[in-house]
Amino acid sequence: MTRNAYRVIGQSLPRKEDDRLLRGDGCFTDDLQLVHQLEMVVGRCPFPHAAIGEIDVSRAAALPGVKHILTGADVRKLSDPLTVLRPVPGAPQLPFYALAQERALHEGQPVVSVVATSRAVAEDALELIDIDYQPLPHISVALDALAEDALVIHPGVMKSNLLSAHEDRAGEPEARMAEAEFTEEGRFHINRVSPLPMETRGIVATWRPAARELMVYTTTQTPHLVRQQFAESLRLDESCIRVTASDVGGGFGMKLGINPEELLAALHAIALRCPVKWIEDRLEFFRASTQARESVFDYRIGATIDGRITAITNQYTTDLGAWNSTYGSAQLSSVTFIGPYKVPDAVVERRVAITNKTPIGAYRGYGQPEVNFAREVLLDRLARRLGIDPYDIRKKNMLQPEDLPWTTPSGAIYENGDYLKTLRMAADALDYETHRLSPRVTRDDGHLIGIGFSSFVERTGYASARFLAGRGSRFGAHESVTLRANRSGSIDLYTGVSTFGQGSETAFAQICAEILGMEYDAIHIHAGDTAASPLNTGAFASRTLIAAAGAILEAAETMRGKILRIAAWILDCAPDTLTIDGDAVRFREGSNQSVPLSDIFFRAIIGQGIPENESPGLEASAHFEPTDASFSFGTAAAVVSVDPESGEFTVERFVMAHDSGVPVNPSLVDGQVRGGLAQGFGAALAEHLQIDPSTGQLTSGSMLDYFAPTAADLPPIELLHSEIPSPVTTFGVRGVGEVGTIPPGAAVANALCDALADYGIELSALPLTPESVWRAIESAQSTRKGEPL
Amino acid sequence: MACSAEERIESKDIPRPSAEGDSLNEKEITFFLNGEEVTASVPVRMHAADFLRHRLGMTGTHVGCEQGVCGMCTILLAGGAVKSCLLLAVQLDGVEVWTVESLGEDDQLNELQAAFKRHHALQCGFCTPGFLMTATGLKARSAGRALSRREIREELAGVLCRCTGYEGIILAVEEYLDHGDNEGNPL
Repeated sequence: MTRNAYRVIGQSLPRKEDDRLLRGDGCFTDDLQLVHQLEMVVGRCPFPHAAIGEIDVSRAAALPGVKHILTGADVRKLSDPLTVLRPVPGAPQLPFYALAQERALHEGQPVVSVVATSRAVAEDALELIDIDYQPLPHISVALDALAEDALVIHPGVMKSNLLSAHEDRAGEPEARMAEAEFTEEGRFHINRVSPLPMETRGIVATWRPAARELMVYTTTQTPHLVRQQFAESLRLDESCIRVTASDVGGGFGMKLGINPEELLAALHAIALRCPVKWIEDRLEFFRASTQARESVFDYRIGATIDGRITAITNQYTTDLGAWNSTYGSAQLSSVTFIGPYKVPDAVVERRVAITNKTPIGAYRGYGQPEVNFAREVLLDRLARRLGIDPYDIRKKNMLQPEDLPWTTPSGAIYENGDYLKTLRMAADALDYETHRLSPRVTRDDGHLIGIGFSSFVERTGYASARFLAGRGSRFGAHESVTLRANRSGSIDLYTGVSTFGQGSETAFAQICAEILGMEYDAIHIHAGDTAASPLNTGAFASRTLIAAAGAILEAAETMRGKILRIAAWILDCAPDTLTIDGDAVRFREGSNQSVPLSDIFFRAIIGQGIPENESPGLEASAHFEPTDASFSFGTAAAVVSVDPESGEFTVERFVMAHDSGVPVNPSLVDGQVRGGLAQGFGAALAEHLQIDPSTGQLTSGSMLDYFAPTAADLPPIELLHSEIPSPVTTFGVRGVGEVGTIPPGAAVANALCDALADYGIELSALPLTPESVWRAIESAQSTRKGEPL
Repeated sequence: MACSAEERIESKDIPRPSAEGDSLNEKEITFFLNGEEVTASVPVRMHAADFLRHRLGMTGTHVGCEQGVCGMCTILLAGGAVKSCLLLAVQLDGVEVWTVESLGEDDQLNELQAAFKRHHALQCGFCTPGFLMTATGLKARSAGRALSRREIREELAGVLCRCTGYEGIILAVEEYLDHGDNEGNPL
């Protein structure tokens, strides 16, 4: 069904979340101030790799106001290593304690933590702690880490710095590649970036020993998984732990699970029996919060002379940093490596390398922007070599609607869609037909104009817990919800999904209102408290709505059934003659008689005035696990003007044609796509966590040195929607949270290469900067000069 | 906060302020916050954002970087938008300060806030107070002069948003500057 089939679903209703956030009434973690609250700060290793000798805390401990200090030895006694929710299959467990043991393995790794009456005093104390660091040789380049003679960063646990290697394949890619009429290959470097939520991480932890209750307020996308991890590392029963995430200032995949600092705050709180707050500052954020994307792709395409792809091989290495964080490095570069193209013979190998860098974690896109850049840029390169238009080579190879569902060489099932339609939409919007036939003439301002495409699929949601088990995940694929009726006639919806900007409160209320037949305003959302929600999975992997829609549907239908049975008993009629209409139950036709919902809810809750065979109470919970993942898809196209003298370029237009299935709230869908695109442009054009390989030090680790896009930096963006319902999800939705991050890099690179077609440049690394374009021009020209006439 | 080895060595023998020192080393200030006179004793090294948030409970003003880049902590001071993480609390002495809590009344949004809601100009909402205060100052400063979209983008470039891609924010601010009257604007 399309969105027109619904009453509330498909409407751009105003968000539930907005009023409190607009009034300064949000409740972010640092907004909490508990009585007798103390504050924690963390001392971090300034070197990329160092042996830790004696730690002298005596002067710090003597500073008035200092309450408690933890070192590595304490932490080892009091807790177990941090657990990993998404272990790399086949990888050994690394002894990742909350504070470094004997050696620190990256700049910023926590070495000591101090709790004092204020953050200022705790920071003063930190400066009084003497740590005997012995700097050790370090490795900050992933491919160097995999060299045979490389220093092993985790000796005793690993024999090399290769944490794991994993291959997915189908058909006979090597044979097809060997017999291909034409092959094109390239090495592509993807930059290390930061998810950069505007709110850093933070936590307030309290412990009541006799009640055995650890109360945790924290910045997380996954309160129930955080609870699990606290229990595992603190050796506590899960029932002792309550985790709440009220408003969270952006997550983007970075706020999944726990990290050393959250565990430290809990350890201090337990020792002190006082609330302990830790709010990460931005300088430590850049060295301690998980980072993303960095990887090297060796991508190869075999094709016929007329441009039909016959084989793909893709070996890529992701730079994990020093430890496997909760979610580790991205896995979706394997799942979607062939993109929207029909290539039965293909192989992908993923290698995960350990280096002396801050750990990598999940970040919006989780491998898909990375592999998309390699594939789409290489595809254009192949097209240029073969003298085929980039549009035509995509059209020739795209899976057609009748090819779907289609199982990719890595085992993913693209369920349905019309990939070519989005390519056509993007091309038409930019009048590509005229552009492709025009020569690349210099404009009056000296710039050349190019258009570049980037087509993609996006894996959204998980195909059942059985699929996840095969990938080693220690969490499920389901979502859950509890609905509770109130005596005043409204509904409370309880969910473990916390609120961090994604709009789930709004979307959940819309679905609930739709099924119950009630008004949107009558649905109240209570989110992110483990003590007030059924166990769930959490918000990541563009999966929340895919899973939660089914749970809300089921719970609301259960509740609706009971409401109608009670109303039918009151009105002495059959339930199927009745319907819920706003704030009352009415007859579907005929009689004007009605019963207010508040009356029915009151009767049900006190158990008086209801049928004898009905139990009292009006509450329903449901768990729903999707059986399949859903694949969003689309094509982006960029118009770029570039000065061939300097390499300066501007993205003048950017069109994004995409399909995320049936939108529950179109305005939220647009917001997700635009927000993702902004992050995609940031990573493609400016953002870069640069590590000096000689010192292993981060050289772009402050807001002044790390260029996230401002309102003045983004190009004009036009969104075009296709809304083909997915056949494998509730209401035909597809996920939309990450899609925007995927296409910008390749679209801009391809547009630059198109504009500079006469120069024959190649771009193979992100970010794309005027300098990198200028160097590509220089390199192409010097190569040409070297050619024999 | 992560101190380098060099800094550590240099700081070894310098006497440090203590917790007691903090409370002794305070100064009394008087200023107007959202139209009401406030007198308070503040540690001289406390920055204005921390003071507003943690001493006065005005937690609508957020802190994102403490180096004047992200703009989460933007407030209005003597009529202009400033980043309160770059000010010391003692610098508030004698001036008029407006924070996001001054916008809207009871459960009503003011025109600017309503425009933000209409245009889906916020997602996580952490940056939102920074944009609202910047736009409030801009409205007073532009005094009815129409700003081009380019100018609006430049004016708003002092506050970062990581969620929305800015489109809704620009549209909301443009609408407010072009059509909003000054009702609900404290300046």
